Amino acid sequence: MSDVHESRTPVTLSGLPEDDPHLQPAANDPRQVERVIAVTFALGLLLVAGFGACYWIAAPPWTLGATMGGGLTLLGVGLVAWGKYLMPAGPFVEERHSHASSPEARDALAAAIVQRGGSVVKRRKLLGGLLTGGLGIFGIVAIFPLLRSLGPLPKGTLFHTDWRKGTYAVDSTGRRVQVGDLAVGSIVTVYPEGLENSDRGQAVDQTVLVRISNENFTTQKGRETWGPMGYLAYSKVCTHLGCPVGLYEQELQLLVCPCHQSMFNVTNGAIPQFGPAPRPLPQLPLYVDASGYIRAQADYNQPVGPGFWERG
Amino acid sequence: MSITVPNTKRAKQAAKGPYGHLGTVLNELDDRLGVAEGGRSFMDKIFPDHWSFMLGEIALYSFVVIMVTGVFLTLYYIPSQALVTYHGSYLPLDGMRVTEAFASTVNLSFAVRAGLLMRQMHHWSCDIFIGSMVVHMARVFFTGAFRKPRELNWSIGLTLLTLAIVNGFLGYSLPDDLVSGTGIRIAYSIVLSIPLVGTYLGFFAFGGNFPGTSVIPRFFIMHVLIVPGIMLGLVGAHMFLLYRQKHTQFPGEGRTEKNVVGSPMFPVFMAKTTGFLLLVTGVTALLGAFAQINPIWQFGPYEASRISYAVQPDWYMAFLDGMLRIFPAWSFHSFGYTIPFEVTIPAVIFPGLLFGVAYAWPTLERLFTKDNEMHNLLDRPSNRPKRTAAGAAVLAMLSTLFLASSTDVIANFFHISLTTVLWSMRVLVLVSPFVAYPITYKICKEMQGIKGGGKRKTPNVVTRTEEGEYLASSAPVYVDDLPSELEPTEVPRYITSPPKEPDVAEPGARIVER
Amino acid sequence: MTTSLIKRLGAFSAVAFLVLAPLSVFVSSASGAGHTPYQTTRKNAGTPNSSVVVKNKSGVVISYGNSAIMYNAPSSKLVTLGQALFLENCASCHGVEANGVAANGTSGAYPNLVGLGPATIDFWIDSGRMPAADPRAVEAPRRTPRLTPVQALAVAAWVNSLLPSYPDIPTPNLKNANVADGAALFALNCAACHTIEGDGDALAEDTFAPSLRKIPAFQVVEAIRTGPANMPRFTGNLSDYQVRDIVKYVTTEIEHPQNPGGLGLGGLGPVAEGFVGLLLGVGILALVAFWVGERQ
Repeated sequence: MSDVHESRTPVTLSGLPEDDPHLQPAANDPRQVERVIAVTFALGLLLVAGFGACYWIAAPPWTLGATMGGGLTLLGVGLVAWGKYLMPAGPFVEERHSHASSPEARDALAAAIVQRGGSVVKRRKLLGGLLTGGLGIFGIVAIFPLLRSLGPLPKGTLFHTDWRKGTYAVDSTGRRVQVGDLAVGSIVTVYPEGLENSDRGQAVDQTVLVRISNENFTTQKGRETWGPMGYLAYSKVCTHLGCPVGLYEQELQLLVCPCHQSMFNVTNGAIPQFGPAPRPLPQLPLYVDASGYIRAQADYNQPVGPGFWERG
Repeated sequence: MSITVPNTKRAKQAAKGPYGHLGTVLNELDDRLGVAEGGRSFMDKIFPDHWSFMLGEIALYSFVVIMVTGVFLTLYYIPSQALVTYHGSYLPLDGMRVTEAFASTVNLSFAVRAGLLMRQMHHWSCDIFIGSMVVHMARVFFTGAFRKPRELNWSIGLTLLTLAIVNGFLGYSLPDDLVSGTGIRIAYSIVLSIPLVGTYLGFFAFGGNFPGTSVIPRFFIMHVLIVPGIMLGLVGAHMFLLYRQKHTQFPGEGRTEKNVVGSPMFPVFMAKTTGFLLLVTGVTALLGAFAQINPIWQFGPYEASRISYAVQPDWYMAFLDGMLRIFPAWSFHSFGYTIPFEVTIPAVIFPGLLFGVAYAWPTLERLFTKDNEMHNLLDRPSNRPKRTAAGAAVLAMLSTLFLASSTDVIANFFHISLTTVLWSMRVLVLVSPFVAYPITYKICKEMQGIKGGGKRKTPNVVTRTEEGEYLASSAPVYVDDLPSELEPTEVPRYITSPPKEPDVAEPGARIVER
Repeated sequence: MTTSLIKRLGAFSAVAFLVLAPLSVFVSSASGAGHTPYQTTRKNAGTPNSSVVVKNKSGVVISYGNSAIMYNAPSSKLVTLGQALFLENCASCHGVEANGVAANGTSGAYPNLVGLGPATIDFWIDSGRMPAADPRAVEAPRRTPRLTPVQALAVAAWVNSLLPSYPDIPTPNLKNANVADGAALFALNCAACHTIEGDGDALAEDTFAPSLRKIPAFQVVEAIRTGPANMPRFTGNLSDYQVRDIVKYVTTEIEHPQNPGGLGLGGLGPVAEGFVGLLLGVGILALVAFWVGERQ
C-alpha cells in the first residue's frame, strides 16, 4: 500500500537513483507487454511493406489506403504502448517559475524607452514627422497595385444583362426557342443568342422560360404584354445569393431555389412566397415574332441577382 | 602544463569521453550554439498526463497530414479556368468541355497512382483538423485554460481556427466542380452584400463580375501559400507559448499552481506523441481508403446555370449556410441604397459577432469576475456554472444551425414538409440557447461539492430494515484510502458549495452489506 | 546479404497480399456490388444533337427526333379489356368516362384523363402510383404496380380511344447514347430537383422529388415527356437524342455510381461526410487520445 502511494507522489526527475520506483515501467508484466508490442510492430511492418507492394503493382486505391493506414496505425499503437507501459511510470514534477521580472527591471525598461525615445522625438520632430508621412503615403500608394489592379471597377456592370430588344432566346445547345416547343408545364433555360456558352451568358443572362396556362394568372401592372401565349421568362439568378433557380414545380406554380429554398410564385410576378429571398425574380419582357420565335422586348428593368449597396 | 596528443586507439577513445560519437556531435554543436543546458531542460520538460490535452495534438498532426498530402496534390493540380475537352479514363465525362482545374482534379484522382487516396486523405484530414480544433477549443474554454497568462494563445488559436475554415473553403472550391462552384457563387454574393464597399471588394477579388477569370488561380495561391504560410507561423507561435508558459493541469495529488506533474519529454512523451502522429495519419489513411469523399466526377464541372439540389458546404461552413437558410427575408432599401440584411446579418455580422465575442471572452470574463490572478490549475466545468452554461448555449445554437443547413435532407429523410422543418429550425435556433443555459447551469450546481466531480465514487451501503424497507447511506471510507500524506487539494474560492467531507471509519472497520 | 533482403521483402509482400486478398472481397462487395471501379477505355464517339420536331396537321408535336426513341401506340385489341380494368380500378375517382367526374358526381377533385396520351396513363399505372393507395394524399409515391404491364397498356389503349393523343409509349434505343451529353443535360435540367446523384429530395409544400434509382428506361422517358404531377414537361425543348442521352446517364451512372474511393456514403454529400469526419474521424482519435493520455 505504502509503496504504491510513494510511487504516486510526484518527484523531480533529475538526480533520481536508478532503482527508484518512479523509473520502473508502468506495466505489471513488462515481458508480456513487450511481446505484444513486438507482434504489433511486426504486423505494422508487414502492412507498410504491403503498401509498397500495392503501389508497385498499381493496386486499387483502397488497398493503398488500407495497407498504409493499417500499418501506420499498428506502428503507432506499438509506439504509444511502449511509451505508456515500458517507459518510466513517474509521475514527475517540475517547478513552474513566474516569467514576471522584478519591479526594478520593469522600471528600468520603461525608463529606457521614455528617456531615450523622448529625447529622439523631442529633438527631431521634423525628421520624425517626415518619416512617418513618407511611410504613411507609401502605405496608401501601395494599396493601388495591391488592390485596385486586381479587377475592374463595378460601374454599371451589375445593372445590365445582354438581353436587348429583339434578342432571340436560345437553349443550351444554341437552338432558337419557337412558340410550339413548350407544352404547358414545361421549362427551359434560355440565353441571349450567341452567349449560351459564354461565362457571362451562363452567369448573368441565364433566364428560365416557362409556359403556363392562362388560368389563374395574375398580370402585374405594366407587364400586360410581357408574357405572350403563356410564355413567361424570369431571371434564373436567385435574388438571395445568386444560385440558379432551376427547380420548377408545375402544379404548385413555384420556382424554388435549390440552395436555400426561396420559393417564387410564377403566376404572380415571381414574388417570393417563402424563404430568405426578399425580392421577386426580375421578369424579362417577351414577344413572339412573325416566324414564331420567342424574343426579348428589352433588357430586364432592374438588376438581376442578389442585393448590393448601389442597387437602390 | 602540457597538452598530450592522443596517439593510441584507447587514448583517442578516452578523449572522446564516455558518450562516443553522440558526445562528439553534441560537443561540436554546443561549441557553436550552446545547446547543452537548454537541451537538457528540454529533455526533462514535464507534460501533464490527461487525455483531453491530446485533443490539440489531433489538430497538430492533422495539419501535418494536410501539408504532406497537399504538397502531393499541387504536383498534379492545374489552377486554371481555361476550357479543355476532357478525354480521360472516367467515361461519363468524356468529350465534355471543362476547366483545366476540373480536368486535372479528375485526372489526379483516376490516372495518378495513389492520387485518389491522397486527395481523400487531404479532404478527410481537413474535416478532422477543424473538428479537433473545435473540440480542443471547447476543452480550453470549459476548463478555463484561456485565463491569465494564456489569453494571447487563446487568440492565436482562434485565428488559426478562422484561417483553417477560410482555407478549407478555398480548397473545397479549387476542383471547380458543380457543388463547389455553387459555393463560390454564394461567397461572391455574400461579399457583394457588404454595405458601401461590397461590389468593389467582389470585383477586385474575382477580377470582375462573377464568375470572373481569375478566381481559381487566386484561390489556389491563397490556399497553398498565403494562408498556410500564416498558419504555419501561428502554429509555431502557439507551440512556443505553450512551451514557454508550460501546460496547465487539473488540480489533484501534488499538483499546485507552481508546478507541473506528468511525464518527461524524453522518452515518455516523445514516444507517445510520435505514436499518436502515426495513429492520426493511420486513421486518416483508413478513412481515405474506405470512405469516399467529394466524388467530383459524379458532380460534373461547374457552369453557372447548372445546379444540384441538396448541396451543402463542408461541415465547418454549415452553420453559416444554416443561418442563411432560416434568416427571414429582410432587406433595407432607402435613400437610393440597398443593404441586403437577409445576407449581411447572417453571413457577415453574425459570424463577426460570434468570433468577436470569442476573442473578447478572456477579457470579458476578467472584467466580470474581477479575477486578475495567474491560473495554471484548470477549472472543473461544474465549478464554473455560468461559463459552462454560456458555452453550452452557444454550442446548442451552433448545432441547431448546423442541422438547419440540411433542412431539405431532414425533410426528405423523415418525409415531413420542408416548410415545417424550416419553421421548426427558426424556432429552435432562438429557443435552444435559452433551454441549454439553465439546464447546464442546474447540472453544474448539482455536481458541485461532490468529491470526484460527480463521478460518485464513494460506495453506498444498502440496508434492509426489519419492516423490509431499503435504505441507502454513503459508506464510510477507510483511513488508508485517504491520501493523507499528500497535500490537500486547494479549493478554489469561487466554488460555492464546499466539498462534502466523507465520514471516516475507524481503522480496521469493515463495510457490512446485507 | 542483398539477395536475402530482397527475398525477405518478397516474403513480406506475399504475406501482406495474402492478408489483404480476403479483405478486398469484403470491401468491393461493400462499396457497390462488385462494380468495376472505373473503366479505362474510350467508347462513345459522341453523337451530334439534332432536333427534328415532327408535328401533325394541328400543330401537336408527335416526335422529337427520329430513331432514338420509338413511340408505339397501344394495340386497339386491348380496348375492351382496358375499359373493364378502368371501371374496376380507376372509375371511382376519375369517373366512368375518365373525364374526372367522380362516381358521386363531383368534378374537379380528380384529374380529367381524356386526351392525356398513352404515355401518361402508362407511366402512372406502371410505376405503381395508380390506383392510388390514398387518393386524398398530396402525392402518390412509386410502389409495386397493382396492374401488370399489359393491363396498364390496356387501360392506356382504352383512355386513348376516347380522344387519341400523344405521346405514345416510348421504347428508347440506348445503343448510340452519349453519356457525357446526358450528364450535362441532367445537371442543367434534372439535378435541381432530383439532386446530381439522383437521390431525390424534399420540395415545397409536402412534395418530394423521387429517387431515380431502379427505374426502367422507358419510364424515365415517359416522365420526361409527360411531366407527372409537379415535374415539368420536357417536350420540344429536348430532342429524342437528348432524352436518350439523359436516360442512358440515369440508367447507368445514377443507377450504379462509380465509387472508386470507397463507400459512397449514400450520396448525401457533405452532410454525410461531415458526420463521418466528426464521429468516425475525430471520435475515434479522441478515443485513441483517451488511451494515449490517460494514466493508469
